[in-house]
Parts: sequence; structure tokens; C-alpha cells
Amino acid sequence: MLSLLGSAGMLVALIGAGLLVTRGITTARSDRPTNLGGAAQVLSAGAVAAMAALVAALLTDDFSLVYTANHHSSLTPFPFDVATAWAALEGSIVLWALVLAGYTWFVFRRYRRSPDRLGAAALAVMGGVAIFFFGLMVTVANPFETCVQAIEAGCAQSSPWPFAAVDAPANGPGPNPLLQNHFMMAVHPPVLYLGYVGMTVPFAYAIGALSLGVAGPEWLRRSHRSTLVAWSFLTLGILLGGWWAYEVLSWGGYWAWDPVENASLMPWLVATAFLHSGIVQQRRGMLQAWNFVLVISTFALTILGTFLTRSGTINSVHSFTQSAIGPALLGFLVLTLVGSFLLFSTRADLVSSSPRLESYVSREGTFLINNLLLSVYAFIVLIGTTYPLILEAFTRTQVGVGEPFFNRLAVPLSFLLLLVMGFGPVTPWRISEPGLIWRRTRNPAMIGLAAGLLTALAVTRNGWVVLSITLGVFVVSTLVALLLEQVRRRIAKTGETFPDALRRVVTGDGAFWGGQLSHAGVVLIAIGISFAANVGAHDQAQMAPGDSKTFEGYTITYESPFQRTPPGRTIVGARLTVTRGGQFIGTVEPSWNFFGEQSGVGTPDVLHSPGGDLYLTLEDLPGSSGEVSVLFDTSPMIWILWFGGLVTVAGGLLAMRARRRERVTTDDRPTVDV
Amino acid sequence: MSERFRNTLTVSLIVVMAAVLVTLVVTSPMREDRVQSIGDRIKCPVCQGESIANSPSQMARDMMALVEERVADGQSDEAIIDELLFSYSGAVLLDPPARGPTLILWIAPLAGLVIGVGVILWWRRHPPGLGSPEDPAPQRSRARKLAPLLALAGAFAVIVVVAGFFLQDREGPATGVANLAGEDLDDVSNETMEAVIAANSDHPQVDGMRLALAERYYEAGDFRSAFPHYLAVAGSSNAGETEAVTALIRLGWMAWEGNGEVATALNLFDEALAIDAESDTARYLKAQVLWCGAEQRDEAEGLLEDVLADPELADESRDLIQADLDAIRSGGSCA
Amino acid sequence: MRNGLRWLGYGVALVAVGFAVVLASRFGTDPGLVDSPLLGQVAPVFDLAPLEGGESVSLDELEGDIVVVNFFASWCLQCRNEHDALTSTANAFGDDGVTLVQIAYQESPPNSIDYLQTAGRSEHAYYLADPGSRTAIAYGVFGIPETFFIDEDGLVVGKIIGESDALTLGATIDAIKRGESPGQSVTGDTQQRPDQ
Repeated sequence: MLSLLGSAGMLVALIGAGLLVTRGITTARSDRPTNLGGAAQVLSAGAVAAMAALVAALLTDDFSLVYTANHHSSLTPFPFDVATAWAALEGSIVLWALVLAGYTWFVFRRYRRSPDRLGAAALAVMGGVAIFFFGLMVTVANPFETCVQAIEAGCAQSSPWPFAAVDAPANGPGPNPLLQNHFMMAVHPPVLYLGYVGMTVPFAYAIGALSLGVAGPEWLRRSHRSTLVAWSFLTLGILLGGWWAYEVLSWGGYWAWDPVENASLMPWLVATAFLHSGIVQQRRGMLQAWNFVLVISTFALTILGTFLTRSGTINSVHSFTQSAIGPALLGFLVLTLVGSFLLFSTRADLVSSSPRLESYVSREGTFLINNLLLSVYAFIVLIGTTYPLILEAFTRTQVGVGEPFFNRLAVPLSFLLLLVMGFGPVTPWRISEPGLIWRRTRNPAMIGLAAGLLTALAVTRNGWVVLSITLGVFVVSTLVALLLEQVRRRIAKTGETFPDALRRVVTGDGAFWGGQLSHAGVVLIAIGISFAANVGAHDQAQMAPGDSKTFEGYTITYESPFQRTPPGRTIVGARLTVTRGGQFIGTVEPSWNFFGEQSGVGTPDVLHSPGGDLYLTLEDLPGSSGEVSVLFDTSPMIWILWFGGLVTVAGGLLAMRARRRERVTTDDRPTVDV
Repeated sequence: MSERFRNTLTVSLIVVMAAVLVTLVVTSPMREDRVQSIGDRIKCPVCQGESIANSPSQMARDMMALVEERVADGQSDEAIIDELLFSYSGAVLLDPPARGPTLILWIAPLAGLVIGVGVILWWRRHPPGLGSPEDPAPQRSRARKLAPLLALAGAFAVIVVVAGFFLQDREGPATGVANLAGEDLDDVSNETMEAVIAANSDHPQVDGMRLALAERYYEAGDFRSAFPHYLAVAGSSNAGETEAVTALIRLGWMAWEGNGEVATALNLFDEALAIDAESDTARYLKAQVLWCGAEQRDEAEGLLEDVLADPELADESRDLIQADLDAIRSGGSCA
Repeated sequence: MRNGLRWLGYGVALVAVGFAVVLASRFGTDPGLVDSPLLGQVAPVFDLAPLEGGESVSLDELEGDIVVVNFFASWCLQCRNEHDALTSTANAFGDDGVTLVQIAYQESPPNSIDYLQTAGRSEHAYYLADPGSRTAIAYGVFGIPETFFIDEDGLVVGKIIGESDALTLGATIDAIKRGESPGQSVTGDTQQRPDQ
């Protein structure tokens, strides 16, 4: 029954997508109105039905579905049973398709308000992408296949025909233990997909504009909000992924330059460049070619990322198992890249028309540098991730490319970006009056250096930490100074009170100040990372019940081992109490989690505090008399990282609230304003 | 305070602060942890991409212990890493060396930056004309030009997908458990066959192998080695009729030829005939034993006549058997 | 400028196709599989004590024989499957210039001894302990079971990754006796210790 519902949903959505494409193309070419709304509705309805069927099957323990039989267990508690919907390959495609349908609906609503060729063309492109993903579901990644031959805990043979004779197993193996360990499993993937998939929207508008031969910032304007939404979600998704890794993996690591993590970073970097560069085009009509290249690359990188995760060509902690989906994704990637760039080439004359850059020392110039730095950054991550693959294809040598390589290049690049972050917003458009930038940055420079000195004298003399704080405080000071400058000017003009003027200034140009808030967030992230990477302690001790250990000012006492059996798992661990200076701080319970027949998963426990986190992990299981080997780690000030990430996302959301500036200045009047 | 004076003061202050800061940082006591830094460069072979310094797995800890020992011995970083490279190959490095096939990884980022800067500078010097952003007239012809473009892209995509499908199962299934019946056993040594038989003694098709091995021993005259295998085949419930009969016949003949045991041999031949009463070989050999060993010429004669009566008997055998029959009838002794 | 962009577009499209073909060629291969660099090299020397303790056995003592070095543990399913094959091969070739050396990997000797109690031993084989995994590291072991073949001159000439069977083992030894170098062969997956 659910299999039938799901299969029907997939097919209906596929039909809807097809209708969207054909009708969209018709309207775009001939300006004849067609029922795009109907097509969008059919698409969305089908997508919702498919996801609903999948989730219902999981919640009702319907093992007649192969997906449930192979990935779900009746013992899996809420919310992990729902999260199983995207824990395995086929289900993750259903989620992707659902989010895509959602975004398509929003694009349609925008179209309905102002129907024109560009909107129709964009809808056609969205429909085309939807055809691919629903096509995947219907062919190689069908989650609604019914089980026709059960084995003990799973399914040996399946059939795509929903009316096939069902032989359902009594139970399934349940999801991978690592995916049942933390509630983030229910949150991180959907948020990340909201980011990834959202990048389809600006891509669709760009391709639409190119296909129609319409240059200019219109496609940017239409898609800007979606780009911001997608970017914010992508940032949040990456942040949540890092936090999840930190809480669950045993050494306080939150980023390992794992290929799949890189697959999410690359689109983020290029999307950030696109966001910034789009501002220049909307404002001055420049960097048009850059923007097309950036948006196509962003979308292509999301597809590449999906491919790397699911094709089995790269080893990663995140890898789904290999299947026929690999070639299909690769083919789609080729279609996207080749088609888009050939289109770009044939429209080269259209794309190349834009005003002249008057001076490098201008806001446009800083955005250009920003584009360059972020693109090089993305390029480095790309070659680092794919080079082992390429080398092995041509020779039989294997090489490893890991953290040392990426850090060596990413760290200087990041500091350069911080520097540009400080200078960029205070550089005026078009051309700068000499001395203006100096006047705006000399005090912040001193404040930054003062902060650095304070850190070196009072906290730590580690070079990276000092540098990140110096640069970070410099950046924040420049934006605060800029804000005060504008507020003062406004008060002089209108005589408002300070809080009123402040509010007016910020909401008056929400796009700009939202961006500045995000910059502040990035500064905090940089500071948090430099602390975590350079100022942390590590120790290990063999402890028996009753033993105490002092570590970084904490006193940690091993109380006793324990064992618990909540439904679906067994937890074996050790209870330890932590005090500092005689005062009780908390109880920590690092453990090992065992799920059914599957092997155990080490689960550390973290004690959070404003000064940083204390991190305890069990290296092995408690022995017969309770003795166990314990690892101790501190992550000082790590909360700054998470807080900074949230601030960055908040900045993106603030930027969305703004009334967008509509004017595009192409005249020659020199403007010295911000 | 004049602007120039203020500027000079500010600049000097900035320079001084920066200098002090740099000095403080550079002279800070750095915890030089060689073991940690080497460990950061080696990938844990049993984990997914973690370094041995970060991974809690046993193998990682053992490798770190090895690194610690070598560092204490005074070995250089490169020597220690080379030792691990010798065993594991370059796949165990997290940091690609700046030579050989990974040199490009060191060059490419810098090249990218240089090229990017070059492009920007070139773009400034060759500014585009202010072309008209919209050209409404040839819109229809433009739309038509899209189709071949899409077709080309689609063609490439199809090529890649098809290539991918063909290449997918390139590395065939592993040899796994031996296909006992189907293997060409000519290249396989006796010892290997012994090992295979010993390891798979429960396998339903092992009797074929046993027989083949036993035949080898038999041909070579090594009755001792052949014996246990024939016995196993004869007693096996999995063996086919032909196999059992062959084994019993061989056992019988070895009993007679090797040990001169008449009764045992006759017993074994009878067992064979119980399975397959038409077996020419069994009857012939039984006749031989009866004639040469038990002096029961009449019975032997009868058996040989039965054999000759078989229409499917080969001509060469016919002559041989006829000769024996004549010898028996004429009262000669057996050869 | 316009031409520059045009060529940029064509160039990227071309690079994309090339890149995709390279990626496509990697289908069906195991990204984690590594070619052993030890093939053709002098085998790393080991000098290990048997599981029960006692006088150590060194690789040097066994020179002149074909030495089959197998890494195993009781928690390894494929090792359990191949154990009979190894034992029977050791027995078959024991008097014929072949010595089997089984080294316990990431397991305490009492556990290995218990396992061998039920699994069985060959009189022609050695069962050694590897404290600190030094020998496993020296042989570049990524997981078990892995079986190395060392010829009479002490060079590593063969390696089986994954579960082996009597026919493969025997055929490899036959080939080495004929003077060939069988090289590396992958028969299946290897395993890590479950609590990693």
C-alpha cells in the first residue's frame, strides 16, 4: 500500500516535472501563457506523497518495503526512525527531490507575481533538474521496491513492481550505529540539503537568462533572495555537521578535510563569492561573466559533491554504498557543465558587455580580489580532493592528501580573506578619495594590534591565535567605526536619538549590515578555530574506580562503570565527576554504544563551560574490575566557533529582511558614499 | 594637532605595536612535539582519513609508539616517514611530498593565483565595449541554436554514463572458494590438491578431486598415497555411481596387485558390481583375480564370456579378453 | 574579451568532459585498495615469540623455505573461514619446503590461543604474537586477513588480500616453486577490529 503510494508519487512528480519543462519552454519562447501552476502543483504533490509514504513506512515498521527492510529496525527510537528516511542512499534522493520541489514552488510563486519569459525559463530549468532526480528515483535508486525474498534481517531480492508478491522480513538491521548516536542526524541532513538544493534556483535563472539572450541584473535580482536563503542554510548545515562531529567523534575534531566535508565546502566558497560578486553586478552592472561562471560552478559543485558521496570512487566516512547511481550522477554533471559552458560561449558577446573598472582601489576592486581568493580556495580544495583519484587513474601510484596539505593553504588564504574583510566595506564605490581608507582603518588597526598585544601578554603567545585576534578585532573595529560614522551623520541630519538612528541605519541598508554581521560571525569562527587548533591539552590515563586525575586545573574522579539498556541499544561506560578548585562542576559519562548485532561506537562526553570544553573518551571497554583507559582533551573557547557560526547565519537572514536597492548606476557621477 | 603629525604618530604607534607583538610571538616557548608533528602527517591505515596522532584506534596508537621510539633513537623525520612509506606506500601519507607525482599539488594553487591575477590585470587593460545588453530581434534564431548545443552536451553525458556502466564491474568477483569440479587441474601440484581436499572435505564435489588425485598417485605407482582417497570416495555418500565404482575397482586391484589379498579384492569387485552389474572393468579384473589368484577358472571363464557379449566393448579390449579367454580354456597359467 | 570568454567556455567544457572520463574510469575499483610496495622487496624481518611464549622464531631461520605469513585474529570472520585451508596447506606442503607462519593481529595471546584450540593447528606451522603490532606495521597491513608469500631467497613475491582458499594458496605456492612471482590478488574484504 505504501509502496504503491510512494511509487505513484514518484511517477506523478516526474510527470509534473516534464510538464513544467515543456510548458516552461513554450512560454519562454513564444510568450504564450501556459498552466505552469498546474505543473508545479503536480510536481510538489508527487514529491510530498513520496516522502510521506517513506516516512509512514518507517514509522509503522512496514518491512514490505526494501528500504525499510534493509535500513530500519522496529527498535529504533524516535527521531532516528524518521531520520532513517535520509540515512541511506535512496532515501536521501527522496529528500533532495522534495526540497527541490519546494524551491520550485517558491520560484513559481515569484513567477505568478510577475509572469514573464525569464521566470518561465527558470521554471523550465528547475523542472529539468527535477526530471533528473525523480528519474533517478524511478530507475536506479527506487526506495519503494517491495521485498520479494526476505532474509533474517533484511531483504535479498526486491521488485520495483508494487503489486509483486511480498515476502517481508520480521525486522531489519536498523541504521548505521554512527547515525543513531546523536539527534543531529535528524537535523543536519535536511538543513544541508536546503542549502545545496537551493543553489539550483540562481542557476536556473542564470541559464534562463542565457538561453533567452537576456543580459543584465534581472536574473540576479529575482534569485537573490533564494541565494541568500540557500547560502544561510548551507552555512548552518556545515556548522551543524562540524558540531555533530565534535560531539560524537572522540578527539574533539570538527573538521577533517574529509572528501565529503570538502564537497560541502566547495559550493559554499563559490556561493559566497557569487553572493558578493552579484552585489557588484546589481549595483554597477559589472562582473557579469564572473557571476555566470560562479553560479554555474556552484550548482555543478553541488552535483559533484553528491556524486563523490554516492559513487564509491572516494573513500570517506560519509560514503553511501556504491550503486548504479554513480554513472547517472556523473552523466548529469557532464550535461550540466558542458551544456552551461557551451551556452555561455555562444552568448559570449552578451556576457562580456559591462562597464569599465575605473580603479582597483574601489569596492569593485575589493570584490574582485574577494572573488579571486575564494575561487583559488575552492580550486585548492577541489584538486586536493580529486587528485588522488586522477593520479590513480593514470598511474598505479596511490597518494594521500589530507589535513596538512589543506591547512597549509587554507590558513594563509583565510587570513588574507580576513584582511580584505576589513578593508573592503570601508572602500567606496568606483574610486576612492585618497586618504579615506587610511582614515577609516588607522584606528581599527591600532585597536586590533592592542587586542593582539593583550592576548599575547595575558592569554597565549601562540602566533595563530594572536594573528586571528589582531585581524579579527581590526575587522570588527572597522565595521563598528563605519556604523558609528553613519549613525553620527544621520543624527546630525535628523536629530534622532542614538538608538533610533542606529536602528534606522541598520534597517535602511539591511543587505549591507547583514553582510557585516556575517563578517563578524566569520571573525568569531576564525578566532574559535585558532584557539581550538593551537591551544588545547591532551592526556591519557589508566584509571580504576576511585582514582583521581588532575588535568588542566580540573580534578577528575572515576566513580564507577555502568551499563544501561535503553530500547534498541546497550550502553557501557564510566561515570566520572569533575571538580575545579574544590567546586563541583559536573558528571561526565563517556561510553560505548552497541546497537543490535553491529559493532560498538565510542561515544565521548563533553563538559561545556565558558572557558572551553572538557572532553573525555574511553579508549576501550571497562575491564572486569572496572579499570579503563581514559583520554582527556580540552577545547578552550570552542563555543566561540559555534556562536560565530550562528552569527554568520543570522547575518544572512538579516540581509534578507532588507528592502533591496533597486538602482543600477551607470552614470559617471563620482560617488564617494559607502 | 596637525593632520601630518597625527598621521606620523599613528603610523609609528602601529609599527611599534606590531613589532612588539611579533617579538612576543616569535620568542614564545614553542612546544616542539616532533612525535605529534610526524603523527599528523601519517594516515591511520585502519581508519577513514584520520591521522595516527588523532585516531584512538589501537593500530594508530601502536604506530605512534613506533614513531616515539624512532624519535627517541634520534632518527630524522624523513627517515621515520620513509620507513612507513616502505611498508605502506604513499597512500599512508596525509601530506603529499613536494616531489614526484605530487609536486603539481604544490605548484597548482600558486599557479592558480598567478593566473587569476593575470586575468584581472588583462581584463582591466582590455575593457569590453559598452554593448547593448539586450538584443530582442534575433531571439528566435538564438532559441533555435540551443537545441544542437543541448544535444551535444547530452551526447557527452550519455557517453560518460555508458562508459561508467561498462567500467563498473570491471574487477570481477573474487576467486573465493575454489570451483572444485570445473578447474583445469593440470597445473596444480599434488600437494595443492591434498590441501584443497583437506580444507574442503565436506564439500559435495570433493570426490571428483579425490579421484583425480588418487588416479595420479595410482598412475605413478604410489598405491600408498592413492589408497586413502579411493577409500574416501568409495565410502562417500556424495560420490556418484561411476566414481564409487572406479574407486572400488582400483581398491580391489591394489589389494590384489599390491598385497596379494584375494578375498579382499574379490569382495571389493563384488561391491562394485553390486552398484553397476554391467561394469566390464570390474568383471574383467574379477576374472583375472579368480583365475590368477583363486584358481577358479570356470567362474573366470563365465565372466569373460559375459564381457565379450557386451556389444559396446572396444575392439582392442575384445582381442585382449579373447586371448585371456583362450588361455583359460586351454588351461594355461595367467601372465 | 568576448573571444576570451568564448574560449574560456569551450575550455571548461572540454576539461569537464576529460575530468568526467577520468572519474568514470574509477568505477568498479576499490578506492581503498593499495598496491603493496613490498612486492619484489626483501621481506621485513621479524623475530617473534610464539603465542604461548618461549623461544622466538625469526624469519632468518626460515631462509631457504617458502614462507607464508598470514595475519589473523579470532574476531575476524574471513580469517575463521580460511583457517582450515591454511592448516591443510601447511600440512600438505610442510615437508616440501614450505613453512606457514600465522601472526596474531591486534589480539591478546590468550584470546588467540583459545581460538586456535577450536580452530586447530598444524604441526608444520608457527603461531606467533606481535606485541605493539610492529610486524603488522612493517608488512603494511591495512586489515585482516592478509597473507604474504616469501620465496626461498627472502623476497616478497605474493600477497593475498582477503579470505584465501586452499586452491589459491596451493596454486600460489606451485607458482613460486616454478620460479614465478604471483603478485597481489584481492579475493574479498578485509576487516578491522570491531571497536575501532
